[in-house]
Amino acid sequence: MTRPYANLSRRMTIVALLVTLLPLNGLGLSLYYYYNYANTQALKEELRIRALNRASAIELFLAERTALLEVLAHGARLTQLSNESELANLLSIMNRRSWSFVDLGIIDKEGRHRAYVGPYLLKEQKYLDAPWFQQAMQKGVYTSDVFLGYRQVPHFVIAVKHENGSDSWVLRATIDSDVFNRLVRTAQVGKSGDAYILDRQGRLQTPSRLGGKVLDPAPVDLGSVAPGSSVVERTTADGRQVLTAFSWICGGKWLLVIDQDPKEILGPLNLARNVELAVLALASLFVIVAVFILVRLFIRQLQTNDAERAAIDAQLAHSARLVSLGRMAAGVAHEINNPLAAMSELAGEVQDILVPSELAKLEEGEVVGENLERIQNQVERARGVTHRMLKFARRMEPHLEGIDINDVLRESYSFIEKEALFNNVKVQLDLSPNLPLIKSDRAQLQQVFLNLMDNALDAVGQGGRVRVSSRADGSWLMVKVSDSGPGVPADLAGRIFDPFFTTKDPGQGTGLGLSISHSITQRLGGSLELENHPGQGATFVVRLPNTPPDTP
Amino acid sequence: MSPFKVLVVDDERDFLESLVRRLQRRSVDAAGVTSGEAALEHLKVHKADVVVLDVKMPGMNGIEALRHIKQLYPEVEVILLTGHASVESGVEGLALEAFDYLIKPVKLDELIERIMEAFDRRKVVGELAGSPPPDQS
Repeated sequence: MTRPYANLSRRMTIVALLVTLLPLNGLGLSLYYYYNYANTQALKEELRIRALNRASAIELFLAERTALLEVLAHGARLTQLSNESELANLLSIMNRRSWSFVDLGIIDKEGRHRAYVGPYLLKEQKYLDAPWFQQAMQKGVYTSDVFLGYRQVPHFVIAVKHENGSDSWVLRATIDSDVFNRLVRTAQVGKSGDAYILDRQGRLQTPSRLGGKVLDPAPVDLGSVAPGSSVVERTTADGRQVLTAFSWICGGKWLLVIDQDPKEILGPLNLARNVELAVLALASLFVIVAVFILVRLFIRQLQTNDAERAAIDAQLAHSARLVSLGRMAAGVAHEINNPLAAMSELAGEVQDILVPSELAKLEEGEVVGENLERIQNQVERARGVTHRMLKFARRMEPHLEGIDINDVLRESYSFIEKEALFNNVKVQLDLSPNLPLIKSDRAQLQQVFLNLMDNALDAVGQGGRVRVSSRADGSWLMVKVSDSGPGVPADLAGRIFDPFFTTKDPGQGTGLGLSISHSITQRLGGSLELENHPGQGATFVVRLPNTPPDTP
Repeated sequence: MSPFKVLVVDDERDFLESLVRRLQRRSVDAAGVTSGEAALEHLKVHKADVVVLDVKMPGMNGIEALRHIKQLYPEVEVILLTGHASVESGVEGLALEAFDYLIKPVKLDELIERIMEAFDRRKVVGELAGSPPPDQS
């Protein structure tokens, strides 16, 4: 494909792809993102609600236990609770109803552990400096953060103060961490879900499945967590993209955190999205293939049309050149005919005066008479030339008669036979016998054949070969004149039928022979074409309509 | 002298003078002028039976001159003689009732033959028109 076509093809392809693929993919991608967005939003909302539910459950769990301890603290007397067997009895009754207390203890206002039931040896320990004790003494009821304490095991306690005048003491219970942790863990979903509680210092209050042990700091920036409940997208310490629901519990004391890998939940939902993506890709592929095929078809059609138009243009230009050539020939003939006429009259007048009897009187009168005669002959010769030019110019109508092409070819050959012999050129006549007679112009055909044979002789030079053949081909008669010469250079092949175009040396040819031959064959309803084989000779093909002569 | 008068019109002086003299030498009553305008002037004074007229001349060209001659002297026969052979001028000349259209150079004998044929036609046309032919002296 030549440059302008390649450019056009590229531009058309780009534009067509843009106007089809842009809206298609715009629609597809916006759907894709909408799916994504909608699914994520739904998941976030679900996560937030789960966090709220869990937070309520945890708060309820703690509130129940606090209430029970308050009833105990306010309802019982110290002497009763200081009795460790009574206290143990109480603990076992409460735990029978799965109240999940690890131990119970009574601490007097000096911070001395007066009575204790539980798995640790904590009796008589001093708690005066323990923050939970101070808080309980101050506020009456206090739920601690997780701490190690004397037992060196992470736990948290609920402390309730009994106040009766100057006598006050604190009832303390440790919540069973396993039970509490299980409760928090019910908020986990799936293989990658995580749920845990943080205190205000960001320390884990319950173990995180993926993030660490109790009391480890958790990588959550508490300052940025909104009050109440919220859902954010964040990256975990190990680089996973997760959705995280936060819910403050116990009046902002603790933060319930639920991590969820959205991929795990959204996986099935994303199937629809991926199907859409696949359909989009397939549609785009179809569009691309269709665009390429259509552009290709269009360009090919365009090339065909252009080629046809170029051929017509060339034909018109050729005809126009022949017409102007005709005008020029007529002008030239005129310019020569006038002086010829004068010369003829002038010489004729001298001949009129010097009649033979007068010539006889002159010395060398014979030569004078002969020269006058020769002048007239030369005028006649020039007249022949100019009248032929005029004939060409006038494009005189062919004179049609029944013609044997082979006969004309043989006759034409007879004109060049001597020249061929002289140049040692072997001319092979390969004429198909029994060709039909056709209606054509004998003299003009002879001019064409003679011209082609002449050119062939010139092309092959000394010792070359020329082949002249004739045959019938359907509704055409074909005459081929081939030579073993160098052929026509490819870049000149398009111009050889132009008037005045010649490859011969100046003065050797007019450049009109092929042009005239071409126009003659066209006027006779046929054609003259070049089958060129640069380096291996040229073949000129004359095609004539196989029209039978009118029967008289 | 011939029974008819011939006027040759041509801007080529060499050709014109020589042709006129040769016609006269053959006993043709011939005269010559070098332009269309001169030809019309000439015809005003002298009669002519046949005019041999060049087509391409400076000033009034042959076709124009032919049109005037045929208008003024319909009985005069005109032979167009030219070096140029354009089909249009030939067709136009014949449409304007020129007797013939010849291309230079033409042999004198041939020209005289055509002139005589033209005169013959003039005689016939003249007889049909009722005017007597010029006397045969």
